[in-house]
Amino acid sequence: MKAWKILAIVLVGYSLYAGLMFDVPRLVILNETIRNLYFHVPMWFSMIALLGGSLAYSFRFLRSGTEGQPSNLDRDNQARSFAEVAMVFAMLGLFTGMIWAKATWGAYWTADPKLQGTAVTLLIYAAYFILRTSIDDPEKRARLAAVYNVFAFVLMIVFIGILPRMTDSLHPGNGGNPAFGNYDLDNGMRMVFYPAVLGWILMGWWIATLRVRLERLRYRNNH
Amino acid sequence: MARLSSAQPYLCAVIRPQAIRQMLRWEWELEYRRSNGWFLPVLFAAMVAYLCSLLVREPSPTVWLALLWMTIVFSALQTASRSFSASAGQWLYLNQIVQPIELLLGKTMSTAGSSLLVTWTGLLLFGLWLGWPHIPETDASVATWPFLVSISLGAIAISATLSFTAALASKMDRGTGMMAILSLPLLLPTLLVSMRASKLALLGETPLVLYPNWAGEILMAAIPLALGGLLFPYLWRS
Repeated sequence: MKAWKILAIVLVGYSLYAGLMFDVPRLVILNETIRNLYFHVPMWFSMIALLGGSLAYSFRFLRSGTEGQPSNLDRDNQARSFAEVAMVFAMLGLFTGMIWAKATWGAYWTADPKLQGTAVTLLIYAAYFILRTSIDDPEKRARLAAVYNVFAFVLMIVFIGILPRMTDSLHPGNGGNPAFGNYDLDNGMRMVFYPAVLGWILMGWWIATLRVRLERLRYRNNH
Repeated sequence: MARLSSAQPYLCAVIRPQAIRQMLRWEWELEYRRSNGWFLPVLFAAMVAYLCSLLVREPSPTVWLALLWMTIVFSALQTASRSFSASAGQWLYLNQIVQPIELLLGKTMSTAGSSLLVTWTGLLLFGLWLGWPHIPETDASVATWPFLVSISLGAIAISATLSFTAALASKMDRGTGMMAILSLPLLLPTLLVSMRASKLALLGETPLVLYPNWAGEILMAAIPLALGGLLFPYLWRS
């Protein structure tokens, strides 16, 4: 087993234990739900990292078919697997966020830029997966999906970027609400939060590579 | 016109104004002179506008604006989904005279033109059937040209995204149904910026307040075009 996989296990294990057991600041409204920071926020970091990986593989797939070379369908497999695992992380981030929102804001869903950004991300990638299922020729499917993936990713980032400037927000880091990093996050929390982020990104990457390898085996079995 | 090989490096492709002109003339001939293709989206816009006027009586300015944008978006969707439907023979001819990037640019321009026609028709009919929205806080002398600019820029920005997704959908086996699913989530940032620009214009804000929003609308037209320029050659190969 490679070192980074061991690191992923250690960091996620540490963040699970420390996130539930270590001391946290006592804050009004937030109370003990502040611990969700260790679980909710890393999901989003992991999702963006995995979508970034998916984007890179899509672009590499498109490049692989030029200059008379045959296109490399394995790149498409990688792009799809990374997007799939990213969506699992998006769901986890959404659910942990909804529970947190119910506890602190009083409702599972608000018309909040961060939530809308999430909803749009899920819609865009749902469209990506539907696009994939509606084309039969693998070569063509891979090409159209890769083109859509790159196009959609950039517009999604634009959306997430401009949205908070358009509306007010309850979410930390938007609309006058400070992010946790500014002053709420004390040094004790930092020591759990950053390892949790790194650990979950590595864990997500690992799951995605497993998915890639599974698909390779399936492909080899069928051909 | 010399035929350019499709194997040349795409990113440094030169856009020839003559090729674009040729394409636009071709579009004009096919859409406006030899068929009534242009009439379809306009009729669609008129029907939706009339439906809105039946469903809502004296809507608030926000509702009025939201309905107007919904009409514009779905009419533009109608326009765009037609823009890449052509027979195999027509494609053969088009691919001979233009490069992929020129094709996308020309199609975007013609879609933007049709969308503007549809948008202005919709706006006219909204004014006729639903009335101009009444805003209590402002005096009656709010200039209409900033609102027209906001709406028109928004329609152009929407066309830029829609042209690309239409090209994508046209390459698919069951493309027509996919068009809305592929493009609507991608249109949201454009719609938010346009909605804000048109709302501020309707409230009678000064151009100084509106300029950043117009810049935003222009940016939302430029981003899909730039991305399209990068990706379209890959899409159009085959």
